Amino acid sequence: MPEVLLQYQTEIWQSIGETFIMVGVSILAAVILGLPLGTWLYLSRKGQLLENGAVFSVLNLVVNIVRSFPFLLLVVFLIPFTRLIIGTAIGTAAATVPLAIIAIAHYSRLVEQSLLDVPRGVVEAAVSMGASIKDVIFKFLYVEARSGLVLGLTTSIISFISYSTIMGVVGGGGIGDFAIRYGYQQFKTELMMYMILIMLVFVQMIQFTGTTVARLIDKR
Amino acid sequence: MITLTNVSKQFGRDAVVRDVSLQIERGEVYGIIGASGAGKSTLLRLMNLLETPDTGQVTVDGDELTSLSSRQLREKRHVIGMIFQQFNLVANKTVYDNVAASLKLAGRPRETHETRVLECLRFVGLESFKDKYPAQLSGGQKQRVAIARALANEPHVLLCDEPTSSLDPNTTAEVLGVLKSINERLGVTIVIVTHEMDVIKQVCDRVTVMTDGSVYETIDVIPTGVADIDDNPSWFVDQLKKAGEPHA
Repeated sequence: MPEVLLQYQTEIWQSIGETFIMVGVSILAAVILGLPLGTWLYLSRKGQLLENGAVFSVLNLVVNIVRSFPFLLLVVFLIPFTRLIIGTAIGTAAATVPLAIIAIAHYSRLVEQSLLDVPRGVVEAAVSMGASIKDVIFKFLYVEARSGLVLGLTTSIISFISYSTIMGVVGGGGIGDFAIRYGYQQFKTELMMYMILIMLVFVQMIQFTGTTVARLIDKR
Repeated sequence: MITLTNVSKQFGRDAVVRDVSLQIERGEVYGIIGASGAGKSTLLRLMNLLETPDTGQVTVDGDELTSLSSRQLREKRHVIGMIFQQFNLVANKTVYDNVAASLKLAGRPRETHETRVLECLRFVGLESFKDKYPAQLSGGQKQRVAIARALANEPHVLLCDEPTSSLDPNTTAEVLGVLKSINERLGVTIVIVTHEMDVIKQVCDRVTVMTDGSVYETIDVIPTGVADIDDNPSWFVDQLKKAGEPHA
């Protein structure tokens, strides 16, 4: 083990923990809120089961607005909202708020796209068999789109890791923040390189897992 | 069994079905034929309200479908089976699960599923394929799974939207044979929409010819029975020669 890593191991473990919290909350937000939002986006589109031009336009606009913010500006812009929810705008917990919001917007768009890949005829067959909207979603759409949903989540998680690296601006910590403060600002280039290496390993593992799972559950 | 009364349907400014009235009797095999764009598929989709008519009434088995609540309509759809040109199976479910899905939707008791699924698969001759996925099946086999799925809830009517149009002659015969036996052995009323004259001739008792969204004429026919077709290349040669001597 390189000496520089041993020397900073407490800080490194802590920053890894912070990254895990930030990314973990983002994943939860993506699945719990992004998945339904993306499904609603899909269903409210023209020609779909819950077609509603007004609903679709509003959802579509909101998702686009969130996604068009440069992320750093979104973090700053959301400070009053974060303070309202968490009680403070500083720290790892506070950092999860803007991350969760971008996560919802990011994943909902990928969910919508995966669902659009489901052949229309499958939904039609479901309806002809007397399926309710809920049945169509859970017994047909999600079953047929499942590998796309997993691949989308994989892509999203990797983006969340990337977004989490700038949370140092609000004291969120994490590996990225550690790499900048210790590695870059204190000229410990070697340390910075190791941090990048750690992130690289994480990203590789996530991508590998996501791709493998998606392949195994895809019977199309 | 199915009565359409002055039914019309427009998509945007296009009148796809214009004031159609027709009556389909219990137990018959009813064909609807016409050029593409004649409105025949839309007409079929009006019979289970996949399309809602702009005007007119659709009555199936004594129930006026447009007056049903959405829950009642869903219940009703359990006894109106439907199959499609593109089969529309769930590719990520096994053959077994595809058929079981329709039992689940109808809320049948779970312990009855296995027997019923296997019974339906046996009927279409695919019992041994139950653990396969649709991607592992031929077109004809997929359509037979779709038929098994539509049969699971013991429908009174089976609506068939171009059921053989993406199949070769061989598998067309296979699927038509299954449809015929559903009609004869189970007494299910069958409505077939197709542009293939051979299909109509082989199985239908009555045919409506559609043009431009309207009924042109409805005629009684005597079905010739499903043609025997085998895989033997000599059969294809015979067919070709029958149609006139091949050019040198």
